Parts: sequence; C-alpha cells; structure tokens
Amino acid sequence: MSAPPPRVTHGPGEPYVGTSVPRVEDQRLLDGRGRFLADLAAGALSVVFLRSTEAHAVIESIDTTRATDMPGVVGVYTGNDLPLARDYIGSLHTPDPGFVAATGFRMPEQRLAILPVDRVHYVGQPVVALVASDRYLGEDALEAVDITYRPLPAVLDPSASLAPDAAPIHPHLPDNEAGRIEVEFGDDVAADAVAVTVEGTYRIGRHGAVPLEGRGVLARVDGQRVSVWTSTQIPHLVRQGICEATGWSVDAVRVVVPDVGGGFGTKANVYAEEVVVPVLARLTGHDLVWVEDRQEHLVGSAQGRDQVHRTRLSVDREGRVLRWEDDFLLDIGAGGLWVAGVVANTAIHLLGPYRIPRVRLRGRAAFTNKTITAQYRGAGRPEACFALERSLDDAAGRLGITPVEIRRRNLLTAADLPYAQPLPYRDGVPIVYDGGDYLRCLDSVLELLPAETVERLAAEHPDLTIGHGVGCYIEATGRGSFESGRVRLTSTGGFEVASGAASAGQAHETVFAQVAADGLGCSLELVTVRRSDTDLVRHGVGTFASRSAVLAGSAIRRAAEQLLDQATGRAAQLLGVSPDLVKSTASGFAAADGSSEWEISWADLATACAPGGAQEQLGPLDVVEYFHPETVTWTMGAHAAVVGVHRGTGAVSVLSYAVAHEGGVEINPQVVEGQVIGGVAQGIGGALLEQFRYSPTGQPTSTTLAEYLLPGTCDVPDVQVRHLGVATPCNPLGVRGAGESGTIAVSATVAGAVEDALHGLVRVSETPIRTGPLRAAAEQIRREGQ
Amino acid sequence: MIPASFDYVAPQSLTDALAALAEHGDDAKVLAGGQSLLPILRMRLNAPSVVIDLGKVTELQGISDEGDHLVIGAMTTYAAVLASEAVSTHAALLSKAVATVADPQIRHRGTVGGALVHADPAGDVGAPVLALDAELVIAGQGGATRTVPAADFFEDLFTTAVGEDELLTQIRIPKHTGWGAHYEKFVRVSHQWSIVAVAATVRAEGGSIAEARVGLTNMGSTPLRATAVEQALVGQSATEEAVRQACARAADGTNPPSDLNGDADYRRHLASVLTRRAVLAAAGA
Repeated sequence: MSAPPPRVTHGPGEPYVGTSVPRVEDQRLLDGRGRFLADLAAGALSVVFLRSTEAHAVIESIDTTRATDMPGVVGVYTGNDLPLARDYIGSLHTPDPGFVAATGFRMPEQRLAILPVDRVHYVGQPVVALVASDRYLGEDALEAVDITYRPLPAVLDPSASLAPDAAPIHPHLPDNEAGRIEVEFGDDVAADAVAVTVEGTYRIGRHGAVPLEGRGVLARVDGQRVSVWTSTQIPHLVRQGICEATGWSVDAVRVVVPDVGGGFGTKANVYAEEVVVPVLARLTGHDLVWVEDRQEHLVGSAQGRDQVHRTRLSVDREGRVLRWEDDFLLDIGAGGLWVAGVVANTAIHLLGPYRIPRVRLRGRAAFTNKTITAQYRGAGRPEACFALERSLDDAAGRLGITPVEIRRRNLLTAADLPYAQPLPYRDGVPIVYDGGDYLRCLDSVLELLPAETVERLAAEHPDLTIGHGVGCYIEATGRGSFESGRVRLTSTGGFEVASGAASAGQAHETVFAQVAADGLGCSLELVTVRRSDTDLVRHGVGTFASRSAVLAGSAIRRAAEQLLDQATGRAAQLLGVSPDLVKSTASGFAAADGSSEWEISWADLATACAPGGAQEQLGPLDVVEYFHPETVTWTMGAHAAVVGVHRGTGAVSVLSYAVAHEGGVEINPQVVEGQVIGGVAQGIGGALLEQFRYSPTGQPTSTTLAEYLLPGTCDVPDVQVRHLGVATPCNPLGVRGAGESGTIAVSATVAGAVEDALHGLVRVSETPIRTGPLRAAAEQIRREGQ
Repeated sequence: MIPASFDYVAPQSLTDALAALAEHGDDAKVLAGGQSLLPILRMRLNAPSVVIDLGKVTELQGISDEGDHLVIGAMTTYAAVLASEAVSTHAALLSKAVATVADPQIRHRGTVGGALVHADPAGDVGAPVLALDAELVIAGQGGATRTVPAADFFEDLFTTAVGEDELLTQIRIPKHTGWGAHYEKFVRVSHQWSIVAVAATVRAEGGSIAEARVGLTNMGSTPLRATAVEQALVGQSATEEAVRQACARAADGTNPPSDLNGDADYRRHLASVLTRRAVLAAAGA
C-alpha cells in the first residue's frame, strides 16, 4: 500500500494554487449556518404541485372548484391559467453545425408542457399548481383537485418506443426519436487479421443523483422585477428558461443560488417548477416558495443513465483492437433538455483512451413514459465506458490474456499523445487528446492496488470469493462556450469574486479564492467568493460537465490579473512614481526608488476610486472576464477494484478501490481528491444498488429510500487516489476537469472484479449488478473448493 | 410529505388511553415511537382523524425481572432494550436482533411494542419474540386483560391479535439464561429492513446442541418458526457440517415474498444460509 497523497501546505509568498488550503465554506456548512433554499422561506406562501398519477394518459378534465374553496387556498392553477409566451422549456444545448455535419446528429424540438392540460407523459409530472398559506393546507387542498384521466398504453422500453408501429408519446414527434448520431471512421478490417470478435448487450440501469438536498424555488416580486432563488447549478440558464417561457426581459429576472446541498447534474436542468413559481408570484403578488420533498424528488427530478449498448469488438492475436462497433439506445424518459449532450457524450467517449483504427457507432435516444432525464454525473461517459471496458474484458478472456494486459496493449502512451481522432468534438473542433501518458495511469493504479491484493484479502475473508478488476476512462472536460468571472475591489480593500458557475458544494468559495488571490498577488483572507447571482454576473453558463475549475477558474484568473494590472497603474499614479517601480504585496503595493519607499494598501486604492477620492473619475476597480476555451481538455484515468462475492448469498462487497488519474494542475489537491472519492461512492451506488424501477404500467416502484438504495458508509471502502498531473495549454491555469473522474469507470471496474471473483462463470452485462444470479456461481466455486 | 389533518390525544394512563380508543374507535391510530406510523401518515397512506399518542403513558415503559420471566413494557424503546443487562443476560436473542434495527436515532424513538403491533414481516423483533416463546399481554376495555402466546399473536401482514379497542401492554419473555444467541440479518444497505433474517438461540451442552429456537424474518406474511430445523438440531454437535445439514430445510413451509430486493427462491436460499450462520454463531462455533 502506498502512502496517501501528500498534503501540500501553503507557505508565505507561495502561490495558493496547488495547495490544500482548508475549505473556507466548511465551518459555515458543518455548524449549521448554511443557508439553503428552505432556510429562506420565512414569510412566503407555499406552492404545492399535483403530479400525474398516470404514466401516459389523456387529461379529460381538471376540476379545481372544490380545492379553491379549501381553507388557506389562495389559488389553484392549471396550465391554462398561466400567462406564458411559450408553454415549454427549450433545449439547453444547440449542437455545433460542424459536429452535426460530421456525425449526422439530429434532435427534434421537445415541447413537454410546463403544466400539461391535455396529456400527461410520466408519473410525477406536475399538472396543477396550488398556492396556499402553508404547505399543510396546500397538501390537504391538493386532494380536492379532481382530474379525470383516460389512460393510454405506457411505453417503457426504448426499443419498443422506436419500433415502427409504436404509438407516439409526443403527438408532434411520431417516431418517438429524441436524438440520433452516427460515427464511422477507419478502413474496414481484413477478415484474416481478426483473432477474436466478441459481441455483447450491455444495459446500464436508470439511476440518478438523489442529492441530500432536493430542489426548491422561492420567488419574490419587487416592482417590475422578479427575484428567484433556486437550488440550481445553472442560474443563467434558469433565467433564460424563465424568460423564454414568460416573454419577460432578462433584466426583469434575477436568479440567485443559495447554498446547494448537491447537484450532480440533476440540478443542471431547468424545471417547470422554476417557471411556475415566479409566474405565480407575479400573478398573486405574494412571495412564494416550493420545496421539493423526497417523494417528489424520486419521481419528479431528472434521472440518468438508462442505456442499452449492442456491441461488437474485434481484436488481433495480440489483443490489439481492430474494430469497434456499438449500436446504443438511450431511454430519456418523457424528455431531456440535454439530449444533445448525453447522446454526443456517449458516442464520443465510446472511443476510449485507446488506439482504435476502425469505429462504427450509432446511437438513438427514445422517448418513453418514464421520468425526465438530465446529465447525471458522467452523462453518457459511464455508459460508454461500461460497454467498451466490458467488451475488452470479454475479448481478453477469449484470447487468454488478462484484463490488464489487453489494456496495456491498447492504451495510448507518451509516444502516441497528443492523439487526434478523425472526428470533431461537440464544439466542432477536431478532437485531440491533450494527454501525457495514459499507460502510466494503468501502471499507477496497479501499484496502488496490485492484483496480488486478492490473495491477502482472500485470506482475510474466507466467506468471500475475491476478484480484481480494472477499468479505464477518458473524459472531455471544460466545455464552452464560455464562463464568466468577476473580481471587484471592495470598499474596505478586500475582493469579491463571482461567477456563473454556481457551487453545489464543490468548494468554489475556496478554489476560486485561491485562483483570485494568486492573480491579485494578495493574501487569501482578502478574497470572498459570492454565491452565484445573475445580478452579480450578467452572463454565465453554469456548473456541470467538469467545467467550473477550467472555465470559471480561468475567467477569474484573468479578471484578477487585469484588476491587478489596472490597480498597479492607479497605485503608480497615486504615488507619483513610474508603474515599473510599483510592486504588488500581500496587502497592496510598494514602490522604492533607492532613496525613498512608499506603500499603498488596497483599502487606500478603494478610497481613492470612491466618490470624493483622487481617482473617482476612473471608477471602481471591477473586472468581468469571459473565458472562451478553444476546445475541451481531456482527463484520463484508470480504476482498480477488489471485490468479494459472498459464497452463500452472492452479495458483493467492494473491499478496496483505487483511482489513478491524469488531471491537470490541481488548484486544491484535497478538493480534487474529495471529488474523486465522492464520485467513486456514487459509482458504487450505480454499480450495485441504485435503480429507478417501473411497474409494467409505468408506475415508479422506487419511490422511497427503502426501494431506491443509496450506498452507505459501509458500502464504500477507503479509496486511494493518485494524481498524475499533466498541465494543459488549453487554459491559463493548466487545469483539467475532475468532477466526474471518480464516477465514470466504477461500474465497468466493479463488474470486471465480480467476474474475476466468480472465475468467469458469470458474465456481468448490466447494472445494478444483481446478487441473486451471482450466488449460484459462488456456490459452485465453494463446492469445487476453489 | 405532510399528513392530513388529525386530532391529537396524549393520555397519561393506560386507562385513559383505552378510553380514548373506545371513544374514537377505528377513526383512531395509536402512536407509539412513530417510526412506522409517521411515514405512513406523511405519505398519506392512512389518514386517521385522531392520533392517540402513548408517549406519556409511563406505566407502559420499562423492563422488569419477574423471576422466571422478563417483562418488557410495550412502550420500551429499542435503545432501552439494548442497554438492558437483564435482556442481554436472559433474552440475548432480543438484544442481538434489536441491535440491527435501523440506526441509533430510530432505536431511540422506536418501541418494541409498536413494532410488534405494526407487524411488518420485515421488522426485526417479531422473529426473536416468537423464537423465545414470549407471551403478549393485551389490555382491553373494562379492565380486561388477556395473554396471547407469540405463536398466536401474528395473524397476517400488518395484522395481530390486538383488537381495535385493545392495546398491547407487555411482552413477557421466559428467561433463556445461558443460551447462546445470534440474529443474522441480510440487507443491501445496513439501515434497511431485512431482506431475510434469522433469529437463533441455542442451549449447548458439552459441545452439542441440547435445545434450539429459530425464528425467520420476512419469509412470509408473519414471522415464522423453523420448527423442523429446531428439531433437527437437537443432539447435533455444533459443527459446520452437522449444522449445515440441519439447516438445509430452513425454508420448508415458508412463503416468502418476491420484491425488488430478491425473489422468493433467492429468499429460500438465503434462509438456509443465514440459519446455518445464525445457529453456528449462537452455538459459539
């Protein structure tokens, strides 16, 4: 076992980037002083939503008369009562034309109604909004809303949905296809070169983020403006969604993000509730709040994964990949505003960190009558990784080489990198993996968790049959188009930093402060990072897709440098010296000309540019920067797991786990490590436990945390993380995204380890891995005394 | 997740509680520790017009030693059972089972009597109470009291011998002093209900099993006794192979459910595996 990664501490005069300074938000969050959405609700009336109880049905009538007369009810609203310019929320991503041309990508416009009046498409879809003096009376009154549904057959399988005779789920989209992509390159392979071809069908179950804090929206009307607090990762896109649906000007809507207790992609979405609550606030003139409860969350918040891959992989005698084909289906439920992202992510990441000369991929996204989907942590990458890595394990087994060996023979090495793929990325820029040495990650993870660990753990756990698995992933991170960063000198000589990339708990208050302090050359204590607010930064995109450190970090760095540059000139002017004599210090500026020394603090500068100050006419020191990356930067990593399968029950325990990843510069190594470990925990949930299930009629059956199983501390072992930093030239910080690195390869890695534990008697081709089918194999191994 | 409106009554004595029950009849629900009832109310699966809270009826709390029996008040919390030396000495099986219930917060609120009357077949106190041949004391209207053996107490899913105007008051457990005990619980995540669990308590004599009691959790609509296993174990040496054979048919006569956590066949398989483990652990092997 190797030692844990070094904790780099910060010394005087050194840069903050690269040091594990403690998270400044932790004190507040851990001692209960966090201010989450529900903490802001005092004084607001409650909005409650009546949600569809049908998976697919025509709404024959909605009668709100009885409910309107119930105690405490202010109003009951259907979709017909909302003054909307457009009754649906538009796509959150428009594909680049170059990417479309290269991949045949297409997706139709989705028009899932904000509050439907004629047809419902999934159980949990909001249908009626009710405003009441409190939530108790609101929920009582909901029971008095009478809706008559005429049920339609529910479509729950993506293949059935795309079949030619399938009934349309959305009447304007008769083929039920939500998105399509095709990727093909390389010359066909000579038949005699192929030693082994493996075919497989891989299913990745539907699961999702299930953050500690659910969603919630608070709206307050102030004159002509509406302010909206929402538990989101993407305040500016929420503002856009509200404005497009209502016709309000962006200047009339302010979106503020309070403390957020986890997002993981389910909150990187724009929801009907985020439109309805501000609309009703304006309609009623009251401050209104809606706080999602856990039952609503498990049926009404966007879910993820749910893919089927039909694959074919050919390798030569040495195990070198010759040809890789995958025809995959995504079940996006009743809708997904990020369908372009998930479809394209899946296809692109199917290329893996390997040399693959011949590729043919086809992906189709299907509508079904399940809950809506969004980009859950990984967003297509874990699914692609599962299909490719499982196929590699299968091919290795057939060739009689180890899973490690087949990867060793195919991984891109220092000699191959940077490596161009004959395909543009989603931004239209040709894909070039800007990595250092991917093979080194595999070697590293095996140092952390060698296959020999199996023997030691087998001796410790006689009831378990033990196996070792590996999985490799690649991840495009830091996608554009841009992110904002603002740095402002405050009146007391401190700095405020703001960005469109909202924090859902990822330590933005710490890492953005580190970046800004380095750019300003000031002490970290002078910097405060504000929560995201569209009034603080007028433009932004948000936090998702491992992009915040790369994009927001870079924007903040540049804003800080510009502010320092401007301030240096102003300090020189105030001191009456030439700017090249002025040096920045931890607290301001100093200048010396050999005989005299001068100092000026940041507070002095703030006073100078305030009204009545010597530099009043120059205005405040306040810089907004937009960072537009040329294209994405790539993170690669390798995972290894040792699992035990119980000989009597088939239950799977993950005993040991390691991740070696090639990220970029780490702004805060401990934060990155936390991201990776948390990602592994979520990955283990998806691999072994979590699944949103549905009855044959489309009723969700995972509607409490007794059915939707989340991993607990007992289910997640200590995770060893090794960072192999390779700075990227793609951004001024040299950082690569790491938010999804921990999650992507977990299902593939655990599945490989389970197969190894069961001596190949079972093929694991779906997640979550069910324990029942494993126990017969475990029993056979026990009987044979292996 | 907010309950429908209800009236709340908090009687101070058993007499008052029974009177409240008589008054409100089947409009009422009895609140013990609330760990099952409150979620049911919050999910609006039930909407009683009155909730009768037994939390202030102190005479229903506590554990006493009555010679050859332990008497546990129905409103005694899991945590109090777990902390009781009398229980761990004379009814170790109950201690072991209670230790696996959910998490410490729930164990400090939930009560043994509440769980027994709720009669969720996946709950963890039914099987040990059944295996220990406990008796359940039920108070009715007009000072009537009756005692029901555990074998007759559980009638069906969420249904017991306690009538609508009655209250469970005591659990009387014959002392099993010196018996080894183990509760083997199979769950996917530790704080969840049992997928299957087995309660086993064993009196060993000179390396072999003199007497055994085995209860099964979540192998049917009520807790079950594995009497065939109990009989097969008598006289066996406490060795892996002997116990394996005796436990092979633990699932005989059961009718386990099929659900998201496992189908009936898998549960039958689990029953034999878990019974063997529980018996071996109880026998100290």
